[in-house]
Amino acid sequence: MRAHVLVGMLALGALAGPFGCAPKTLYRWGGYDQALYDHYKNPQKRDEFVARLSGIIEEAEKSGGVVPPGCYAEYGWALYEEGRLAEATVYFDKESKLWPESRPLMEKLMRNVARARSSPPAAVPASAPEEAKK
Amino acid sequence: MKRLLLLAALAAACAKPPGKDYSKLVSASPRAILVVPVVNKSVDVDAADYFLSTLSVPLAERGYYVFPINLVKRMLEDDGLSDAALVHGADPVRLCSLFGADAVLYVTIQQWTARYLVVSTQVTVEFDYLLKDGRTGEELWKEHQMRVFDSGSANSGSGGGLLGALVGSLAAAVATKAAPNYMPLAREANVKALEYPGPGIPAGPYRPEYRRDLPSSVTTDPAPPPAASR
Repeated sequence: MRAHVLVGMLALGALAGPFGCAPKTLYRWGGYDQALYDHYKNPQKRDEFVARLSGIIEEAEKSGGVVPPGCYAEYGWALYEEGRLAEATVYFDKESKLWPESRPLMEKLMRNVARARSSPPAAVPASAPEEAKK
Repeated sequence: MKRLLLLAALAAACAKPPGKDYSKLVSASPRAILVVPVVNKSVDVDAADYFLSTLSVPLAERGYYVFPINLVKRMLEDDGLSDAALVHGADPVRLCSLFGADAVLYVTIQQWTARYLVVSTQVTVEFDYLLKDGRTGEELWKEHQMRVFDSGSANSGSGGGLLGALVGSLAAAVATKAAPNYMPLAREANVKALEYPGPGIPAGPYRPEYRRDLPSSVTTDPAPPPAASR
């Protein structure tokens, strides 16, 4: 019934409810979806994508907010693809600590990075930036 | 009671009662959702990736952990699964175990089209959403959304709430002359699809109303799992 009351309040154009329905978001996304979209639209502008991910993280950390789910890992992956393995590990670890649900995957990725670091550079997979699609 | 009835009536007027069976979703109680690349049945080859970029924000805003979209896509590609249809056809249990996910969301684009009429442009998007359990592979929830925007009758302004926060003014955004912009429509469809109460999914563990927004028929569940510590 509580939910009904809330919806009723919204229908009346009354104040937003004390939880859930307020017109604000759980996270400060900083244009994460737009950054992804632009990346898929212009894959050749990869540096821009990576810089925006970094900016989203910086912004959220600076404001004391929670870095949205996936953002640390997405950034870590971008670094991993560039062969910046030590930095990638830092961000996989941050994702793992902030979002326990990500831990199995992040640990797997950190193991992969550790393996890549101990073998010759030629063995690093997926390090070549994708060629422009169009 | 009278007041409650009135409010309930208002609620019924503006949001249809869910009418879906949420028992499997509630008992599966997923925390972490894997979003895999979308199957594209439209003729616009770019639609799949463009649309994929819109999925994580509204889903995470429902209170779930959402695996990083691009990372997942690239990992699947590295594993030889660059064809979304192949991913959708794979065993959901195996897929989820690969990432440590509790559930997997499959989305299919049915329509992503623009029709150029004499005085207007009509943009249509249509999607199917399907959530499957990562432990049993069972279907937990599904939804279908279609949005049509006609620049000749630009009357669909987005309201407030989350929709307003995430989508903004639809009319201004879609009706550009040069090229139709599907993205505001796609975002709106996602928000509506996931909205709850409504056709969407109940709040996940990162929302304050987690486990308190369930229909009475499925609230007789055992105690919720302990909240995750950050």
